[in-house]
Amino acid sequence: MSFSRRGFLAGSSAAMAALATRPAWADQNSLYWQAGWETAPAEGFAPTEMTLVRGKLPEGLNGALYRNGPAQFRYGDKTLPHWFDGDGMVHSIRFANGKAVHTGRFVQTEKRRIEQAQKAFVVPGFGTEGDPNFAVSNPDAANAANTSVLRVGDDLLALWEAGSAFAMDPVSLETRGPKTWREDLKGMPFLAHPKVEPNGTIWNLGIGGSRVGIYKISPAGALQEFGLVDTGLASYIHDFAMTERSLIILVQPWVYKRNIPPFTASMAWEPEHGLKVLIVDKNDFSKTRWAEMPPRFFFHTGDAWEDESGTIHMDIATYENADFVEHGEADIISGKYQKPKTAPAQMAMAVIPKTGEAKLIDTGLPAEFPRIDPRYQGQVRNQVWMIDTSQRDHAPGSSIIRRLNWDSVTPDAHDFGREHMVEEHLFVPRPGSDNEGDGWLVGTTLNMRERATEVHVFDAMRINHGPLASFRAPYAWPLGFHGTWASA
Amino acid sequence: MTYVSQTLSALIAAPLLLAAVTSAQPVHADDAAKLSVTVQNVEKPQGKMMIAVFKDEAGYDGSQPVAASAAPVSAETVTAVFSDLEPGEYGIKIYHDVNDDGEMNTNPFGMPTEPFGFSNDAPVRFGPPGWNAAKFTLEGETVQTITLQ
Repeated sequence: MSFSRRGFLAGSSAAMAALATRPAWADQNSLYWQAGWETAPAEGFAPTEMTLVRGKLPEGLNGALYRNGPAQFRYGDKTLPHWFDGDGMVHSIRFANGKAVHTGRFVQTEKRRIEQAQKAFVVPGFGTEGDPNFAVSNPDAANAANTSVLRVGDDLLALWEAGSAFAMDPVSLETRGPKTWREDLKGMPFLAHPKVEPNGTIWNLGIGGSRVGIYKISPAGALQEFGLVDTGLASYIHDFAMTERSLIILVQPWVYKRNIPPFTASMAWEPEHGLKVLIVDKNDFSKTRWAEMPPRFFFHTGDAWEDESGTIHMDIATYENADFVEHGEADIISGKYQKPKTAPAQMAMAVIPKTGEAKLIDTGLPAEFPRIDPRYQGQVRNQVWMIDTSQRDHAPGSSIIRRLNWDSVTPDAHDFGREHMVEEHLFVPRPGSDNEGDGWLVGTTLNMRERATEVHVFDAMRINHGPLASFRAPYAWPLGFHGTWASA
Repeated sequence: MTYVSQTLSALIAAPLLLAAVTSAQPVHADDAAKLSVTVQNVEKPQGKMMIAVFKDEAGYDGSQPVAASAAPVSAETVTAVFSDLEPGEYGIKIYHDVNDDGEMNTNPFGMPTEPFGFSNDAPVRFGPPGWNAAKFTLEGETVQTITLQ
């Protein structure tokens, strides 16, 4: 994409041919993508003002973008075997008075304490076998706290999925410790993709084999309800969706088969199960119904809503199979990149009528990390923002963010250019407004030429106009997974 | 998701529930051995320390203790002494009944929510330690120091 545009800008077919034959290593030397997978300083990043490199911070955008992601990739000459097992580092970029200030801290988990002391990857995890003699007395002994963040009550929670959330101070990012929602729920898993109703009520799941725990948490952070449902299949569940009335639990055919570490070795792709959907009434967890779709692997949904007929609509990023999750970017972490042979994630719309057959409508649009306007969570809506997943030769990742309007299919996109690698961009509502899409899109990129992380602010409905503001840190920090916005 | 909880759930909890002492055998005083069990790493000095002593693999696997103790917890360590045990191979399972309800509490997925431990400080890795990791030889006076996990 950027290739052909550059060719036209150069204005000659010779230039275009030169670009086409440009060897991948030339870019790999000048564009240092490896900065996305380099271990962050153990002491973290002290608060540092980022430099405004484009536009100006819009009036009304006051608050913090929090992000989480793996940030420990090496001990000596040993590299982390699976991206999902790196110790979480939580970042905040605080916007105020026209400025953006970055800070970052590792989540001080038991896993991190032990591995920092031994200077080795010893704890078994998602794709890391660990030391065969290492004792795992409970799930939190393996907790990497590296997937997302949730701001609730006085805490910033660093989220993983197979164990507790870890509470942190939202300003200093000091770790407070594992969050226990209720004494009898100590150590229960808590997914990294909680759903927040427009009124602030938080819903989340915790998975144990075929059993699914359901949390309902007040806006202030008090547990209101906990219940259990059983899906009958020990499937990998990373995310779910929620309408006003229902929880949509997707049971995909990557299933637990045997008791051996790491987790990926215990799982198998069994497409014969299809992609089953368990729909649970939020007011009565015993009221459930099932739907079934063709077999797909997925990590993330956008969100879901029910129309007047009771039909559920859900945006979801799907993969053909579990190949990506099984290899976990081990080559990239060790500094080697080849354009993947597996197909990238694509956006699809699931349509699940009250009765009759559910459908999965593929868009063919290569995209992941879908985000919506949180004021419309569970409501009829049109917009979803995501990052492109089309693969390129010169570096991992993509340089494009997209907005999809399910109603008009008018594409809206921004290409940062080949020297960038994009991360999740999320929607921030404009204060005092309630029109869907009225607000900003905020997210980070790794500028591989400058070896620096940048944060960008867009008019969410006009991302093709380019960033309203871009700030650049004087350094790069490791690529992360997910974030949240907290208004000041 | 479940990389750890799935494999641990129920595996730890069930065998740790202390059954009543079923097969205590009177031992002739001349042959008797004395076992001292010291439990350390107590976080909350309250409730009771539930200590169960097993003889042989079948007793250990089947949670049929030959001796047991429920000692009040008021300090950072707890010591229990078992006299009049026959010399031989033994294993120990303990849990700290912090809320004194007589049960080893677990979360809904079967993971212990109260501290526990095993003889030899045998580690838990995707399930509780087996007899071979937990067994020790008791003769004369033997001390086992166990760290709560």
